[in-house]
Amino acid sequence: VGERSRFEELFLPHLDAAYNLARWIVGRDQDAQDVVQEAYLRAIKGLEGFRGSKARPWLMTIVRNTAYTWIRKNPHVSAMIPFDEAIHVVPMDDQLSESSHEERKRLLHEALSRLPVEFRDVLVLYEIEGWSYKRMALTLNVPVGTIMSRLNRARRRLQGELAAARDPEVQSEL
Amino acid sequence: VNCEDVDRLIDAYLDRALEPKRQIEIERHLSRCQACQSLARQCEEFRSFFSANAPIYRAPPELRARILAMVPDEKVKPAFRFWREPWVYAAAAAVLVTLCVALTILFPDNGKEFSHVAVLNHSRSLADNGLVDVASADPGVVKPWLTAKLDFSPPVVDLPGSGYRLMGGRIAVIRNRPVAAVVYKRKGDVVTLFCWPENRDLVSNGNYLIQGYHVCTWSNAECNYIVVSKLDSHELDQFADLFRDHIQSNPY
Repeated sequence: VGERSRFEELFLPHLDAAYNLARWIVGRDQDAQDVVQEAYLRAIKGLEGFRGSKARPWLMTIVRNTAYTWIRKNPHVSAMIPFDEAIHVVPMDDQLSESSHEERKRLLHEALSRLPVEFRDVLVLYEIEGWSYKRMALTLNVPVGTIMSRLNRARRRLQGELAAARDPEVQSEL
Repeated sequence: VNCEDVDRLIDAYLDRALEPKRQIEIERHLSRCQACQSLARQCEEFRSFFSANAPIYRAPPELRARILAMVPDEKVKPAFRFWREPWVYAAAAAVLVTLCVALTILFPDNGKEFSHVAVLNHSRSLADNGLVDVASADPGVVKPWLTAKLDFSPPVVDLPGSGYRLMGGRIAVIRNRPVAAVVYKRKGDVVTLFCWPENRDLVSNGNYLIQGYHVCTWSNAECNYIVVSKLDSHELDQFADLFRDHIQSNPY
């Protein structure tokens, strides 16, 4: 059936990205899965209205909105932001020794889990999804200047959290 | 540009997201400010640390399975393609047949049926020499005679100058009801005009050839008409036209 193959062609290749974004925003694996499933449902319903060629940003926007809806509905869960231990983490850089890399990852996870959700939001969109300031401003419906300062504060805050968490060994490596 | 500006804009500067003018101003400031150079270095170190260690999650296989399972349920099933259902065609055929039957019952081609009866009556009247029960060329005589024996007043007209001579009238029976039969003659040819009021079983317009007789049928708001004769169909049509014109211009 045409709709199905169109859907698979457009959106299935971005499932990892969709899950990653949801996971960054809502934290836990199971919650992220629920968010992604809900987002794909919305995407299927909206498929007939989708005429653009850029399926990925469209899907990412839906995932993001769905994630925020989920957070509004589950404020007690999102307040904790457990950011649980990754089972599906893909390291970006495997050059470092296994032990120190694991340690760094753990530290960064901890630091990220203590960030407000809006900060993780802009970090993942900019750093991982590679969105421009302009696209983020459009999607978040705020001025570019707001994106700029939010990203700036997100990085500073994360640096601060890292400094607080890191042990002397990691500090020396930095 | 001072150090505070750089502190605020350093990330955007490193992202090359500032306007070109701003970008250059900060570059100039960095080239002569040690403290800000150090800040920029720290930021860059953080960036490389972040990009090396930031978690990137992959969708668990069960999520992929859940989403794949979701697609046909959500999209294919509700989209009911009626033209793919065989029973739709059966239903359509049944409706069509019913419609045809209903049309036949409601609007039957009854002209031929009536005509057979009329032809039989006409040919018998010739054979039995029972052409007319009231013989007169005067509508003023024929019409009251017929009206007295029927439950309606039939149109009886003479057609002067047409070659058709009013012979008189009789009562005929068509489909179990008495009807007026008005007889005309042109030379040797006898024309019988059958007429009766009808509001339910209106005769359809038609021309028939039955047992060597030409028949012309029609109806108007008041009556059904059947004309039978040995005249050819063209002449019969002319007679029918003449008769219709006459009763229209001279209400009976």
